[in-house]
Order: sequence, then C-alpha cells, then structure tokens
Amino acid sequence: MKVRLTTDLFTGLLFLAFGIFVIVYGSRYPLGTTARMGPGYFPLVASSGLSLLGVVLVARSVIRETSAEVSGINLRPMLLILFGTLAFGLLIERVGFLVASFALVALTRFAERDVRLAETAALAAGLTAFTAAIFWYALGMPLRLVVW
Amino acid sequence: MELFDRIIFGFSVALLPINLLYGFVGTLLGTLIGVLPGLGPVATISILLPITFALEPQQAMIMLAGIYYGAQYGGSTTAILVNLPGESSSVVTCIDGYQMARQGKAGLALATAALASFMAGTFATLVIAAAAPQLAEVALEFGPADYFSLMVFGLVGAVILARGSVVKAIGMILIGILLGTIGIDVNSSVPRFTFGIPQFGDGIEFAVVAMGLFGIGETIANLSRGEAARTSVKDFSGLWPKLSDLRAIIPPSIRGMTLGSALGILPGGGPILAAFSAYSIEKKVAKDPSRFGNGAIEGVAGPESANNAAAQTSFIPMLTLGLPSNAVMALMIGALMMQGLHAGPQLMTNKPDLFWGLIASMWLGNLMLVILNLPLVGIWAKFLTVPYRFLYPGIILICCIGVYSINSSALDVMLACLFGLIGYIFHKLECEPAPLLLGLILGPLIEENMRRALLISKGNFETFIARPISLSFLILTAILIVFLAAPRLRSTRERAFQEQS
Repeated sequence: MKVRLTTDLFTGLLFLAFGIFVIVYGSRYPLGTTARMGPGYFPLVASSGLSLLGVVLVARSVIRETSAEVSGINLRPMLLILFGTLAFGLLIERVGFLVASFALVALTRFAERDVRLAETAALAAGLTAFTAAIFWYALGMPLRLVVW
Repeated sequence: MELFDRIIFGFSVALLPINLLYGFVGTLLGTLIGVLPGLGPVATISILLPITFALEPQQAMIMLAGIYYGAQYGGSTTAILVNLPGESSSVVTCIDGYQMARQGKAGLALATAALASFMAGTFATLVIAAAAPQLAEVALEFGPADYFSLMVFGLVGAVILARGSVVKAIGMILIGILLGTIGIDVNSSVPRFTFGIPQFGDGIEFAVVAMGLFGIGETIANLSRGEAARTSVKDFSGLWPKLSDLRAIIPPSIRGMTLGSALGILPGGGPILAAFSAYSIEKKVAKDPSRFGNGAIEGVAGPESANNAAAQTSFIPMLTLGLPSNAVMALMIGALMMQGLHAGPQLMTNKPDLFWGLIASMWLGNLMLVILNLPLVGIWAKFLTVPYRFLYPGIILICCIGVYSINSSALDVMLACLFGLIGYIFHKLECEPAPLLLGLILGPLIEENMRRALLISKGNFETFIARPISLSFLILTAILIVFLAAPRLRSTRERAFQEQS
C-alpha cells in the first residue's frame, strides 16, 4: 500500500510527537491528587488529549483519503526570512540596532529572486533610518543604535 | 436614563485630546497595514501591539480598538479595489465589491462599505452600552467552577465556528494550552517546561507567539505563494452616494447589523461568520438573486455592516466575562494583561473610565473612518501599488523591533523566529493558528479555575454540575458537541465554509 503524504498524516504525527514529548518530559512534575493538583496534572491531561488526537488524525489519513496532500515547501523565502530574523536577534545586543536592522532587511530581501544590490542597500538604509526615527527617536523605545 | 449617563461619561473620556489622538493614530495605522493584501486584523494587531505597551491602559486599548476597525476597513478597501481580501471577513466583499469597481462604481462601493460599517458601528455601540453592564453584573456571581465551564464552552464554540478540520482545531487549542503552562506554576512554584532557561520562568510572551505565527509565518506564506498580479482600480468617481443609492444601502445594512450584533457575541463568532451569513441572507431576500456576484450593492452593504457590528459586539464577552470569542479578542485580553489589568466583570467597576471610554471611542473610531477614508482612498490605492518586495522587509523589521522592545530581550526575537517557522509549517499543514492563540490565553485561566474549583469541592468533580451556572454552560457545550457530531448539521457547516476557500 502506498502511503499518501497528506496534511492529516503530518499533522497527526506532529501532534503525537509534541504530546508524547510533553508526557515524557512532564513526568518529572508531581501529579498530586484531584483535590490538590500538582504541577504535572494539567499538562498530562492536555498532552494525553493531544496525543490521542494525533492518533485519530494518523488513522483517518490511512482510512479516508479526503485530506489534501502536502504541497512542496518553498525553501528560499522560508530560510531567508528566518535567517533575517535570527540575524536581528543575534546582532541587536552585540553590535546595535543600526547593523542588525540593515542585516535583516538585506537578508530578507533575498527571499525573492530578482534582487538588485543597489536597490536593496538603499531600501535597507532607508528602512533603518525610518524605523530608528520612529521607534528610537519619536517613541523613545530603549533601542541601542550602536553598541561598542 | 442611566444608559445615556454612561454613554456621556464615556464620551467625556474618549473626547479627551490625548485619547482622540491615539484613537486617530490607531485607525490610521490599522488602515495602512490592513490595506496590504494578506495581512488581516490579527496580523495587523500583532505587528502593532508592542507600540501600545508604553502607553497608559486607557490609551492603549483605545488605540488597539482603532487599529482593529482600521484593519477591517482597510481589508474591505483592498477587496473592492484589487479583488484580494486583506482578511478573511472581506472575502465576501470581494464578490460584489470588485464587480462594482470593474463597472466603474468603485467610489460607490467604497462609500457603501463605509456608510454600512458606520451605521452598524453606531448600532453596535448602543448594544454594547446596554448589554455589557447587565452581563458583567451576572458574571460577578461566577465561582471558579462556573468560569471553568464558561471557558470550556468558549473553546468548544470557537472550534465549531473555526474553518477547516475540527480535530486539527482542537489539537491547536491543546498546543496553545500546553504552551501556556510554560513558566513557574502559581500554586507550587515549580518551574514547568522552562528547560533551565531563567527567562522562561514568567512564561513565553503571547505577543511573541502571535507575532511569530501571524507576522513572520504569514509573510513567508505570502512570499512562497508568489506575487499575484494586481490590477488596481484607479477611478474613484461617485464617492458620494445619491439618494437612490442610499435607499438601496439602508435596508441591507439594517439586516446586516442586527444579524452581526447577535453573531458577534457568540463564542467563536465574529466578523467572518457574520459576513458570510449576511451575504446568504441578502441573496435570499433579494427579488433577483442573479444580480449577486455581478456587482449587487446589497452584497456589499449587508456583509460590511454585519462584519463591523460583529467586530464590535465581540467586545462584550471579552470585556465582561474575560472570554475571547476570536483571536483578535484573545490579543486584546493579552494586551490588557500586559497592562496589568484583567478582563472580566471587575473591569467595569474598577476602571469605569477605561471601560466606557473604550466603548465611546468605538463610535468615534467609526466616525473617523468615514471622514478620513473616503477622501484618503486615493492614498490607500497608491499604497496598494507599492510592490510587495519593498513592503515585506519593513513588516519583518517592525515585527522584530516590536518583539525586542517588549522585554529588551534578544531571546524573544529568536523565539519569534522559531514561531515563524512553526507558523509556516502550520500553514503548509492547513492548520489555522487562531485556536492556538485562544488556548494560550485561556489555558492558564482554565487550569487555575479547575484547580481552585476542585480544591473547594475537595476533589469532587460533581461541583461542575452542582452549580447552576456551571451546569448551564456545560449543557450548552454538550448541545454544541451534538451539533458538531450530527452528520446532517456537519455537512451544513462544511457547506457554509466551502464558499470561503
């Protein structure tokens, strides 16, 4: 039998993995009694429910063939948007907002194919100046523009 | 006449220059972001949320509410001008609004949307002012068991009215609830699921989750879908409707706002459901249903008034019971929490200025939308022609600045990045992220009330059916579940949501 890679199947596996992880990791917290619940009680109930739903989804994906197959993942925008955000997070406290913001705009801009370097540099500089003016200068948010 | 005293008190707060200013800025920013295709109110509010943290609670809520209507209205503008819904509740407006625009009646369609929304906004403001105090008074009697049952009812309702698979929606709620358990347990002071990271002790910021799922995740989804060809309509003649047009607008608006006000209060209800129901009603009462889909003015007026009325009345359960009926209201509760306030029956008595000021500001916000947006529509249309490649880096940048500024924490930015990835995965798996947000907000409340109720009853589960209020909510929940399981009704639900996709 050929397994169809449906959204139901993957969602089910995801629910199951997450649920079992919480059950296992959460087993270190005391359960307590129903009258005096420990910290482990509620997460156990919720994660058991989630695992159960995971099983239901996996079973359904095998029996019924109604759910759609997962369409291909477009890696380029995904990775570059995530890299851009990550770069901002890594740089903001080490070198300051100006560099972090420039890096974010430049990186995320590459998520699309037709990139012109001069245009991207101008966009990055413009957006950095614009947001610095609004958030740092006008709204007084605690952003350090440059960290030495 | 108590009602009018309260409304006048509300206006005395809402008309303070500072509140007017933030309401104005909110509606303007909301429209600006909401006009962008692919960004609905939830994403717009998530992106702009951190800007309000520095404000006083009153101004913050007034501004957020303004952002909300602005985003709704911006979505309609996009729907009419480029046939791309900025948000799901304006999918309906696309059908006839875009057709009107293509026939050279773009101005009339925009004016219809604005006037219908304004009428509905006025009506819904009165409904809130009349109903909210009564409901808050009832809610003051609620014990922990009652709250528990109410929240369960709210979550089940949200599942029924959510789009897509029921099983997935319940799973998303549970994931949200589990994410909500991260942090130090209030009762036992045990740090749960913190993985040894001290910053996780206070739990993860819901704003980080919202911004990651909706701001970053949706942007990736939009980009990987590729840019659709946009043909914006540029002729806005006839912005001011004639008397005969007004006569065509008013009856569907009245039907829409009545229906919308009722649906907005239901858990899980809200603008989307209201807009779809209003459209089908208009189609049923019309003498010539074949006009629908070809630029029927009722097809714009009905759904637009219904979605605006529902957007506003969904504030009623949020403000009085602390029960969010949709993801936007979950964000509002989160915003209140960040201001150190709790949504619930005490809000009206403890913070009457915030409560009534917010309600009055809703009407003012609607007025501002009409006055501002009709003359400014040319600017919004220009904004629509800015290529997406210039916009999305800015959206991501504003998201990151917002996330960072909540706690000046670089870790939060990386966490938002992770939730962006998760959001994209959910998008690929056709899981709506909105129920997750409801679970995240309601999870800790459910746990706390359940533990407290069972502590009082010494572990006896009968407490949930012994109290009449709790029992009524559980019976209502059971009715909803039967509704969900009945095959005939389920097919109706599927059909109702079919038109959306």
